[in-house]
Amino acid sequence: MRQFSATVVSNISLCRDLYRIDFAWDARAVGPAPGQFFTVRVSDSTVPLLRRPFAVSGYASDTRTASAIYQRRGRGTDLLAARQAGERLDVIGPLGNTFPPPKNSQRCFLAAGGIGLGPVLYLARHLVRDGRDISLVFGARTSAGVPAAGTFDGLSPAVCTDDGSQGFPGSAIDYLNTLEPGTFQDTVLYACGPMAMLKEYHAIAATHQCPCYVSIEQVMACGVGACMGCAIRVTTEATYARVCTDGPVFDSGVIVWT
Amino acid sequence: MDLTVTIGNGKLPNPVGVASGTFGYGSEYESLIELSKLGAIYSKAVTLEPRPGNDAPRLVETPSGMLNSIGLANVGVERFLTDKMPFLARQACAVVCNVAGSGEDDYLRVVERLETHPDIFGYEINVSCPNVKHGGLALGTDPVLVERLVRRVRGLTRRPVIVKLTPNVTDITVVARAAENGGGDAISCINSLVGMVIDVGARRPVLPAGCGGLSGPAIRPVGVALTYRVSRAVSIPVIGIGGIMSADDALQYLLAGASAVQIGCATFVDPSIPGRVLSGIADYMTREQIACVQDIRGLLQ
Repeated sequence: MRQFSATVVSNISLCRDLYRIDFAWDARAVGPAPGQFFTVRVSDSTVPLLRRPFAVSGYASDTRTASAIYQRRGRGTDLLAARQAGERLDVIGPLGNTFPPPKNSQRCFLAAGGIGLGPVLYLARHLVRDGRDISLVFGARTSAGVPAAGTFDGLSPAVCTDDGSQGFPGSAIDYLNTLEPGTFQDTVLYACGPMAMLKEYHAIAATHQCPCYVSIEQVMACGVGACMGCAIRVTTEATYARVCTDGPVFDSGVIVWT
Repeated sequence: MDLTVTIGNGKLPNPVGVASGTFGYGSEYESLIELSKLGAIYSKAVTLEPRPGNDAPRLVETPSGMLNSIGLANVGVERFLTDKMPFLARQACAVVCNVAGSGEDDYLRVVERLETHPDIFGYEINVSCPNVKHGGLALGTDPVLVERLVRRVRGLTRRPVIVKLTPNVTDITVVARAAENGGGDAISCINSLVGMVIDVGARRPVLPAGCGGLSGPAIRPVGVALTYRVSRAVSIPVIGIGGIMSADDALQYLLAGASAVQIGCATFVDPSIPGRVLSGIADYMTREQIACVQDIRGLLQ
């Protein structure tokens, strides 16, 4: 990981709820892999104080451009949304672990909920480039949370909305429950989204005995494993794991789902 | 230019250290910070047994600050010695082990174990943790207990003993004097303030533990004021802590009477801050023609 001053390439609205920022990744820093994240100091003042973590939603190694999809949900992301192309961004990255690759024979089923789209999209593109057979489902509350089709880079996900305003009416999990049980045979599951969704995704994985990897969101202070602030409960002897360095990607069987 | 700080029989290369609990065991920041430039690394609190820490969420941001309830999550003294000290021992900067416990014996047994390691500069005794035998009240709220604990730690080591005080008391100078009377070599001033944030929608505190420790720039004026008072109540050095984000902030503490400072939250915000604080202090000394950093203390009008 490195701390660097990045130049914003673009910062656009994808739909009412989601934004995407693209910026130049530092040449001396290792390129971010699917699952990894970075932190940004969004304010030069002390409000808000802490850096904000964002999952990488894409990385073009030729142009060294990284991107992240985010939601405006407070002062920190309001400030991020105000950054214009050409402005500087104080970035630390890449941080955290990566999605484990599937075994050769395995199909991949990817699910994203809301803002969890970013890391799942990056993983999906990566897997497709490697010639893997993938299925992608994306769930949002309403159509206002669904980006234009171009965002998905021809991946054609099954889009679900809770209110039925676009695509499948219901959650991404409801959609999964309509699929033939055979869908999950010899399949590895990946997901990022709200904890309640990930918990149900884990249950589906357990039912079909599929390996399942989820990317977890948690409030962070340091992002580098020092402060122990982003802990989540796990089934291992350690009792807690740090989302920032032990994760953000976890085998769903390791997490204590509450 | 003399930037050194004398604590007991030890000497720190410069007055800017990184505070316990905000810097892990040092290695976490290795790729972001030149550790050799730090005056000291104050380790994550070390307890006798490993502690898993408190339930999540452990953090909530507050205006110009943060509230934490980590619960002294740490690997315990044995794994600290075998897994964490080898890295710390390789660093050029001083390593101060922050020691915590739920009772007096815990502290003493941790210090006894740490005494076996040759590369530890000294100890920072964290008296802000809840004391099991005293109904969960922090040991640091009782000057009698503090003096006795420090005296017993003193009996175990010739290394510098620093006592990190809680601000959550009626008169911090009474506890500071107790630490000095017990044989403490320095006072770290201050630990975090008790705070609470309530989720109005859920009608419950955001932190499962209820309260947490408030730190960050929000508490800086409190830290400066208590440093001012403590440094006038004792003759041992005071290490100022609380919300330092810049060299000017650190200079406030030095002018208030501190001999050294620790950077906490600011490292989370920008890991380059500890280095910039030190270079800023040096620039100030050049500009003001101050030869020795310890002379800044006497300059408050």
